[in-house]
Amino acid sequence: MAVPIQHKSPAARAVQAWFNPLKRSAGFLAFVLMRITGIGLVVYLLIHMVVIGNLLRGPAGWDSLIQTMKSPWVLALDVVLIAGILIHMLNGLRVTIIGLGFGTQSHKGIFWTLMAVAVLLLAYSAWLVFTK
Amino acid sequence: MTNNGFFGPKKTITLKVLRYKPGAIDPPRYDTFRVEANAVTTVLDALEEIKATQDSSLLYRHSCHPASCGTCGMRVNGREQLGCVARLLEQGSDVVVVEPLASAPLIADLVVDMTPFAERFAPAGMRLVRESEFNPEAETPVGVETFTRYEDCIECNICLSACPVANTNPAFIGPAGLAAAYRALVTGERSPAEVFAYVDHDDGVWRCHSAMECSAVCPSNVDPGHKIMALRRELVTYKVKRFFKRG
Amino acid sequence: MRSIEEKRRSGIWIWQAVTGVLLVILLSLHMIVHHFVVEGGLRTYEQVLAYIGNPLVVVIEIVFLIVVTFHAMLGVRAILFDLPLTERQKTLVTRALTAVGLVVGAWGIFLALWLFRMARMA
Repeated sequence: MAVPIQHKSPAARAVQAWFNPLKRSAGFLAFVLMRITGIGLVVYLLIHMVVIGNLLRGPAGWDSLIQTMKSPWVLALDVVLIAGILIHMLNGLRVTIIGLGFGTQSHKGIFWTLMAVAVLLLAYSAWLVFTK
Repeated sequence: MTNNGFFGPKKTITLKVLRYKPGAIDPPRYDTFRVEANAVTTVLDALEEIKATQDSSLLYRHSCHPASCGTCGMRVNGREQLGCVARLLEQGSDVVVVEPLASAPLIADLVVDMTPFAERFAPAGMRLVRESEFNPEAETPVGVETFTRYEDCIECNICLSACPVANTNPAFIGPAGLAAAYRALVTGERSPAEVFAYVDHDDGVWRCHSAMECSAVCPSNVDPGHKIMALRRELVTYKVKRFFKRG
Repeated sequence: MRSIEEKRRSGIWIWQAVTGVLLVILLSLHMIVHHFVVEGGLRTYEQVLAYIGNPLVVVIEIVFLIVVTFHAMLGVRAILFDLPLTERQKTLVTRALTAVGLVVGAWGIFLALWLFRMARMA
């Protein structure tokens, strides 16, 4: 009998699948979104901690920094951040609830409902960011 | 192959089949075959015709044909299906890509090594054969109609292939094994202590991220994702109770 | 049940869930207070100082920082543990993330207390 060769699909290809919801169902899309927003938010947390360190430079340093933060491009990034937070937060609640064995049969409906809520909250937040 | 006008007009479908033979076709490549398909032609029908008339070296596994043995699991256009019930004209394209299941070692062409699957499944404590099958007078457990019968699992390995975690972490017990563990728990086949010892670690029940793709692709309505979540609830309850008892 | 080596028990998912639920409350507070209560958001140095001069705010901000850092590090761990790591590599990952978490936490707490002191002196 021929010895089967341990031929595994390359690890890189398997890791790519974490970020590819094509041909998959809503739960997988939720998993992909959770992973992308999660990584993004960790990166943001680290950047945020460095940026607020500028407060140590006193009023002059901080207030000039805030002026650059008011450019429309940075405000647009703020909206991206809020989108990430909303998706991750609402999805996280869903994962917690179904992760405890509740509502698993309707997890797709819960997902789309929460994402609709996320879109509404995002629209409201974007309006606040650009007008207030 | 079914050759009956009753099943609608025939259409030529191109199959791109992954080929791999250790030492001969290595690295793997895709071979292209053309087959005539009507509304009821399945992927397995097509593979059998290819083997009979175009390339006798094509390797794939199959047994029963009506989706009850779980032998012909494969990825058709990127989605795990049983070849015997996956209809060729329902795959959404004229070019259909056929690949072996992921997260299992490839042996040749569409044949994968099922050993890792069995290793995760059997130790969970699920009997692979029901005792009642040998005992016509066996009584059905109370409440059996309220849960999806885990015995519906046909051990096809499709859930593991669709699981994003099992594909990157071979140590993960995976959907079928965890679902089997839950089943062993609720039937009393195994004690909670035994079941939790098997699943309560980083490569066990906690590794699942609830993508629920296992349940989406399961051809036998076992709904492993639901079972993993239920198992986690049992374990969380157990841990919380123990925490407060101690405190 | 299983003849393979006994694996270390884990319930870290529970912590991920608990901190996550806490964050829904804390982050909502953080976002609303920082950016939507003050007209134009909490922006100038003076406004930041006035806000953080409140001891209750300092406590909430520090609790938020600890919870968010813990949640973030657990999340990174959860992703990395989806890779085929050896037990040794797993220990290394956990230790490295603990270190990063402690540095972020210490820096944030220092910053909050320093600003609190500045606010009190002003």
